[in-house]
Amino acid sequence: MSDLDKAIAQLRACRPIPESQVRELCYKARELLIEEGNVVSVDAPVTICGDIHGQFHDLMELFRVGGDVPDTNYLFMGDFVDRGFYSLESFLLLLCLKVRYPDRITLIRGNHESRQITTVYGFYDECIRKYGSANVWRYCCEVFDYLALGALILGATTDLAPTSSISLEESTQSTLPADDDDIESEVLDSQGRVQCKTIRTPPLRDPPTNSTSNGHISPAPDRDALSPPAERPPSSSLPNASSPTLGSTPQPSTSQQSSSSFPIHPPSSTGSILCVHGGLSPLIDTVDKIRLLDRKQEVPHEGAMCDLLWSDPDDIEGWGLSPRGAGYLFGSDIVTHFNRKNDLSLIARAHQLVMEGYKEMFERQIVTVWSAPNYCYRCGNVAAILEIGEDGANGGVVGRSNGDVGRRYGLGEEQVPHSSLPPPGRRYRVFEAAPQDSRGMPAKKPVAEYFL
Amino acid sequence: MLQHSILEVLDRSVEHKFLPPVKEIHDGPDVAFFLTSLAYRDIMTFILQLNHSMIPRKSESDGVKTTQVWELGSDAIALSEPIRKLQQLIGRLNSLLDEVPPDTGPRRFGNVSFRKWYGLVEEKLPALLQEFLSPDILSFGCLSSDAARITAADELQVYLLGSFGSPQRLDYGTGHELSFLAFLGALWKLGLFEGQGPGIAERGIVIGVFEPYLNLVRRLIKSYTLEPAGSHGVWGLDDNSFLPYIFGSAQLAPAIDEVDPAPIEGSLPEAPDASSVANRSLVQRERTRNMYFSAIGFIFDVKRGPFGEHSPMLYDISGITAGWGKINKGMIKMYNAEVLSKFPVVQHFPFGSLFRWEKDPDADPPPQATRTIHQPLREPQVPGGDASRARTGYNAASSIAAASPGPGTSSSWATTPSNPPRGMVDGVTRAPWVSATKSPPPPVKRNRPGPNG
Repeated sequence: MSDLDKAIAQLRACRPIPESQVRELCYKARELLIEEGNVVSVDAPVTICGDIHGQFHDLMELFRVGGDVPDTNYLFMGDFVDRGFYSLESFLLLLCLKVRYPDRITLIRGNHESRQITTVYGFYDECIRKYGSANVWRYCCEVFDYLALGALILGATTDLAPTSSISLEESTQSTLPADDDDIESEVLDSQGRVQCKTIRTPPLRDPPTNSTSNGHISPAPDRDALSPPAERPPSSSLPNASSPTLGSTPQPSTSQQSSSSFPIHPPSSTGSILCVHGGLSPLIDTVDKIRLLDRKQEVPHEGAMCDLLWSDPDDIEGWGLSPRGAGYLFGSDIVTHFNRKNDLSLIARAHQLVMEGYKEMFERQIVTVWSAPNYCYRCGNVAAILEIGEDGANGGVVGRSNGDVGRRYGLGEEQVPHSSLPPPGRRYRVFEAAPQDSRGMPAKKPVAEYFL
Repeated sequence: MLQHSILEVLDRSVEHKFLPPVKEIHDGPDVAFFLTSLAYRDIMTFILQLNHSMIPRKSESDGVKTTQVWELGSDAIALSEPIRKLQQLIGRLNSLLDEVPPDTGPRRFGNVSFRKWYGLVEEKLPALLQEFLSPDILSFGCLSSDAARITAADELQVYLLGSFGSPQRLDYGTGHELSFLAFLGALWKLGLFEGQGPGIAERGIVIGVFEPYLNLVRRLIKSYTLEPAGSHGVWGLDDNSFLPYIFGSAQLAPAIDEVDPAPIEGSLPEAPDASSVANRSLVQRERTRNMYFSAIGFIFDVKRGPFGEHSPMLYDISGITAGWGKINKGMIKMYNAEVLSKFPVVQHFPFGSLFRWEKDPDADPPPQATRTIHQPLREPQVPGGDASRARTGYNAASSIAAASPGPGTSSSWATTPSNPPRGMVDGVTRAPWVSATKSPPPPVKRNRPGPNG
């Protein structure tokens, strides 16, 4: 068993690892994260998770419900720390898993992954309590500065993700509807039982036009963070353009890619999914602009980087001042425009408590995912994770973009850009807080100075 | 003995110019000024005065020494007519709550029906004040008849309305609690509680008005799932309240004579052990007579999980063996540092003629930092960063001077507030820095402006 595996085992038992190991872990993590772009490309299938906030036992419940690493490919949208009692154990475990299985877990930065915020909301106090010094807090904050700002999920399918890889063997099969083509999303409880589903309605389309929908997204070279947006063929935003790690058959380059100025979206594939902790920024109109930010710093008080981590969608038009004092509120029109311009079918974000664990807004163009059940021991909410399936995974054959184009739209309509891309198939798993009876009381520590 | 100083009652034979209370704290340095202001002096004086009144008293009858304690619901606490009127006022606000059931529609967290309740209170408040406060309070210092002038009622109303949480953010925290304290302090200054022996009116205020207020607030929090403003999750003392921990620990401190200062350690002999706060059944027993346990009881009502996990600070404090007097002293220090010195909490406090935004000529200069408590570096170390990036960091000193609690000084609780704004929570996180620097959002291109614009 390697030292790393030992550390993972110890952290899984909710026991902090020694300071020297934290230091080493954080060093390795930084070396790894520095290679990632501001916007990490992630291939579907992937399970998207929202805020954790140090709720370690609930994170274990999440892994039980969603499958373990590395069996399940995870994307965590930040806010690992603060408020909860086990921020340290939670973040260090996720970091260990990142270092151990870098391609199977993606961590992006939340507004709480910041020096200033952690000194206010508890992570700093927790480190002092558990180590007696601020060193571990400092190591962790150095890692925060290297976390990516967002992720782009490629190769998502409009079909519902298959559940076969999940550990809930016996229940999962029965959850697959007989004709899952028409199911757009479904909600499963922690036992894998279907709670509800929605049927896909035919996508709305704009009249043919040649002036909309330019692909603005570069194909996101993971290891090439600062590459300029440059001239890349718009069609390169095609989902599934590259998913080598998942064993998909490499696609032959298609004639459509060169002959069309529009990205082609075959029936079961859809646009990319942008994952970001907070939301959009008035300073960011394309995903590529995120790539140009210099992210390796403390989260600024304002500006694009701040907004991505702080903003919230709201039922307004345009932009509004945020009551949080950082970031902005943005309305459905902003999301529609951004998604169209960037060939996105969905924005997934976290950052706001939702009683039901997830909340879709603006006609399914954006979703909030919240993964901290019974938040702060009192909110009574359930948590959710969102599974996105892989294009072509159902049939086990890829290359639909080559052969099956237009099946749903009829002949001659292949090149019509949609007004909005059909949202990906979405499987939510909701779960409640982990049972607490078995946990012992933590040891008392010396009181704060006020009481000395 | 400054410890015993009493909030001054205004002279009603002198014309008093009331002022509409306005926000004055806009950034960190304003907090520093606040801590040297007349308003701060009055708030702190009033808290210490109330605190002192709650400490058990030594008494002697027929040569037998006894101890008089001040429990919730105790007959020993005189409830004067003004106190009873205030209780009725709170009772009325409680019944308004019955009229506005929580909304059953979809919601993110806080229940929007709180806004309806708040709206009702706002609408009825002038009439309620007329009903429950005597005319000589409401027209205090009004020697000429000028209908347009600002009255005491105008100032009182602002503090009372600020006591129940934020209708915009659907949250409640220690800033709102402070506003209610100011409402009571304002009434004190207007002479509502005059004419009683030492400590009597104060006990009536704490037991007769403050605890019913807390119960109303707890009901609001539960009914409308108000989010905890100012909460640091498990890393704060309590999600919503602070003052019951001060007054409640005073209730269990060792008995004193009226002229004695507050004890700094020891406990009432029959007081429950500090460690019993983690014991649910002991808490259930004690919550009906003690404010500290009443507050802990509410935590047990709303939180699930091991006490040591969801309330580690209270849990650590429960390990103190030096008694409730020690806890009481620490709570006051902590209130001063974590509530009154925190920008996110006090920034909303409005200042008028009763709580004045004016330098207290007797205020000590803010003591220089003598030692730092466990505060982190407020200047983020930017890896490879240049100076321009450092603008994101705090640059004020983080130190909180722990003034030495010398004998005879009034500032044993005083700490230096040099630290800049800290964050605030209400389920969502609020940026702890000053929003004044925030640039406005881009103009809305469409026809309808957003409600938050």
